[in-house]
Amino acid sequence: MREYAFFLGCIAPNRYPGAESASYKASEKLGIKLLDLEGASCCPAPGAFGSIDLNVFYAMAARNLVLAEQMKKDIALVCNGCYKSIWEVNHKLKHNKELRDGVNEVLKGIDMEFKGTIDVWHLAELLYDPAIVGVQKIRDSVKVPLTGTRIAVHYGCHLMKPRKERHFGTTEHPTWMEEMVAALGAEPVEYRNKMLCCGAGGGVRGYDLVHSLDITNEKLINLKEAKVDALTEICPFCQLQFDRGQIEIQEKFGVSYNLPVLHYCELLGLAQGMTPQELALDLHGISCEPFLQKVL
Amino acid sequence: MARTKGYPEALEKKLADTRLYEDERHPEFTKTVEKISMTIPHMCYQCGTCTASCPSAPRSSYRIRKFVRRALLGLEDEALTDPDLWLCTTCYSCTDRCPRDIAPTDVIMAMRNLAFKRDIIPVNFLKTVQAIYTSGHGVPNNDVNRAARKKLGLPADPPTTHRFPQYIKGIQYILDYFELKKNADRIVKEREG
Ligand code: SF4
Ligand code: SF4
Repeated sequence: MREYAFFLGCIAPNRYPGAESASYKASEKLGIKLLDLEGASCCPAPGAFGSIDLNVFYAMAARNLVLAEQMKKDIALVCNGCYKSIWEVNHKLKHNKELRDGVNEVLKGIDMEFKGTIDVWHLAELLYDPAIVGVQKIRDSVKVPLTGTRIAVHYGCHLMKPRKERHFGTTEHPTWMEEMVAALGAEPVEYRNKMLCCGAGGGVRGYDLVHSLDITNEKLINLKEAKVDALTEICPFCQLQFDRGQIEIQEKFGVSYNLPVLHYCELLGLAQGMTPQELALDLHGISCEPFLQKVL
Repeated sequence: MARTKGYPEALEKKLADTRLYEDERHPEFTKTVEKISMTIPHMCYQCGTCTASCPSAPRSSYRIRKFVRRALLGLEDEALTDPDLWLCTTCYSCTDRCPRDIAPTDVIMAMRNLAFKRDIIPVNFLKTVQAIYTSGHGVPNNDVNRAARKKLGLPADPPTTHRFPQYIKGIQYILDYFELKKNADRIVKEREG
């Protein structure tokens, strides 16, 4: 069993607890144990904090990193926004002495020091990596194959972009998540402009909701065209934007899509035999029923 | 030839025309943006690939290429007071596609940092700061969610600052070190009374 400090972030535990629950259970079946990271906070939100003062952004993320350093565990997380903060600040502080010294000057006041002794991973990359889990093992763990469903992937932005600072290869047309969807027995579906942002990031959702929803709406139009049964993602903030966002789009633009939106961990949990109740799918803004009827 | 007729004179005249924002230019703005952003807007040749990749461009007057130009020319006021500055979703598509290896996204982030120093900031950003100062979370837990967590067999509060509030002190120390809470409270009060 590989052990990781599980960095929860905000939206998974506080809005989509089923995604959190599924992360523990599904990954444990695949040899990954997620441990509590006591006292962790918001990552902090990269759009808000990065925009206000990058130095605060670095120091706040560093505090979370030090908690995991003290546990001597690498961090695993399930949110692209958290990845942007936690992975990127870890990377920057490890390679930029001036930044590291600046951050440690602040952390001194709370008896902490960033040492750069751990790494940070998105659970999705651990699941995809054949040296850790791999698609074959995911396939072998499936009890309720999602056969007959058409599922599209939203990759989100902050896991893979900016490409040159990351390690995921192409950001124009990736297909590794589609492989993970196919491993669950579903049919992965391509759609127009797949890599378009969900519209929520950079503080835009809070600053200009209609503008942000208009981007989401463009994605939903493209998804509708592809006739998909569900959308899967690996970022609870994207999930919120697509799921609760559909209700807001109905209110503001008068169009409805009723497209179920599931975090990949929820989808994986479902395929491994977790019930919709165990995934708290009733908390979703958009009912997953039509999709579940095809599956269960 | 028609095309070059009068060409040298016209060019001379154009080059001599220094009205173009000269008095609004602050060369140190270019340098500050480059330092904070750790990228190189002065290398921009205005190809427009960034704007063409931008999800915000088709639905607003926001043009990322224009902001990179403003960074290059040192047009500080024009950049920082433009409300479009806040329409970047930080999707990094422009950064991945820029043929000059500039990170326009980070140019925007640096400009936003500089705008904040002048109190130019939408209040929703500051409310996230206030929420984190109080609870450690930008999106805190609530009763509906606590009940749902218990049904799932999860503790009502996650093992973050929610279950271990003693850690909030450290967060408040960091935010106070940069006087962020103080400034956030002041600006929100000025705007909303
Ligand atoms: S893509 Fe790069 S070079 Fe082209 S206009 Fe944008 S910043 Fe300038
Ligand atoms: S990062 Fe910002 S400026 Fe660049 S393409 Fe995305 S929204 Fe547009």
